[in-house]
Amino acid sequence: MILLQSHSRFLLQTLLTRAQNLDKAVELDYQWIEFDDVRYHVQVTMKNPNILLLSVSLPNPPPEAMSFDGLPLGAIEAIKTTYGTGFQILDPPRDGFSLTLKLNFSKVRPDEELLTKLASIREVVMGAPLKIIFKHLASRTVAPELDRLVAIMHRPNETFFLVPQADKVTVAFPMRFKDSVDTVLATSFLKEFVEARRAAALNTAPSCSWSPTAPQELEGAPKETLSANAGFVTFVIFPRHVEGKKLDRTVWNLSTFHAYVSYHVKFSEGFMHTRMRRRVESMIQALDQAKPLEKARSMNNKSFKRLGLNDVNHTNSK
Amino acid sequence: MANSLRLYLACIKNTLEAAMCLQNFPCQEVERHNKPEVELKTSPELLLNPVLICRNEAEKCLIETSINSLRISLKVKQADELENILTKKFLRFLSMRAEAFQVLRRKPVQGYDISFLITNYHCEEMQKQKLIDFIIQFMEDIEKEIRDLKESVNTRGRLVATEFLKQFM
Repeated sequence: MILLQSHSRFLLQTLLTRAQNLDKAVELDYQWIEFDDVRYHVQVTMKNPNILLLSVSLPNPPPEAMSFDGLPLGAIEAIKTTYGTGFQILDPPRDGFSLTLKLNFSKVRPDEELLTKLASIREVVMGAPLKIIFKHLASRTVAPELDRLVAIMHRPNETFFLVPQADKVTVAFPMRFKDSVDTVLATSFLKEFVEARRAAALNTAPSCSWSPTAPQELEGAPKETLSANAGFVTFVIFPRHVEGKKLDRTVWNLSTFHAYVSYHVKFSEGFMHTRMRRRVESMIQALDQAKPLEKARSMNNKSFKRLGLNDVNHTNSK
Repeated sequence: MANSLRLYLACIKNTLEAAMCLQNFPCQEVERHNKPEVELKTSPELLLNPVLICRNEAEKCLIETSINSLRISLKVKQADELENILTKKFLRFLSMRAEAFQVLRRKPVQGYDISFLITNYHCEEMQKQKLIDFIIQFMEDIEKEIRDLKESVNTRGRLVATEFLKQFM
């Protein structure tokens, strides 16, 4: 799996199992975290087995990012349009979460398509502001209420920036990693993005650049957001990248860009470890060759032949 | 390039062949102790002149000899930050498994990336020629492995980037 899927697999599985066993009343209380930023909570109680509460906790938005009660711009509208009327948004949400959806299985028919959509709640909520901007780009206008530089939260206390214009949107990611090894690997990965873009086959992909310092587009952004130990990546999105069906994919890919890179950085570290382990084994074998073969020598020097049980029987029958 | 590596390794090999004439030698200071003299450096008369073999500024090999032990320290080429990280990671991985290697030192000598300590016991246990071959092969392997690791990181990066960008088309 090279690309990240937009639905949370565990959430989808939980929902599917629940939908298939509606007649059984069970107590469910699951919590988990995805990509180190979004926390999910699923709850079903014995009392109302048809009611499922799904809560999502988004990372704390930094001051420069627009947020409405902890949710990004346009998130509530996006939920309403995506999920229709069968859902209820609880206000206020559960303690410690930014959003709680109440799903009543006796009212909605839970088919797989709907549940997959529900499992992609991250895409709907986190991608909402991107979607608004890109929709305007598709119609070649700029959303009126936005600043020149839009900050969108994508990780705890981290944002990426968009510069919306009528004919293109520039997306700039300050890339930060905690671990020094991660940083170096990620930097080399990010440089490959620029290299890969040069290939003829990717001619129509968004142009992509990497620089160790903040690019010009980010002028005017708060200083503390402009420190990145793995440099800055900039994509330029044109209307052709957000036409029709491509819109959802573009939104998803951009909103999880950091997760995507760090997922592959971790993956390649794991691969390196497997490789090194194998290499150590082969090196130890090479060292063992230096030891004289005690066994082989003692076998050749034997002055007698040890007979097995079969040999004895064989001799007797003769 | 490959030619200069061969010369470098041949030089190390010859030096090791000359240096590896170790004998059992109990400690002069403490009764019933037997320690590698090259590590403790208790008495100067037991030490020989160290030999430093350099391929270039970044790659060198220090061979220190004493009467009952021999220490080989290697510095591996690190052209960029990525190679630096890979070398560190790989050599640390090896040092942590020093037990399995016997002749490997747990910590490299200061200023070097990895060190071996060969005592007279190792020489008794193993064939000297094969031991030298092992060290030479080890050096070749490290260089090759780091090159391969770097290549695989870059290949993966390219693949990851291409797949990502394809999503927009």
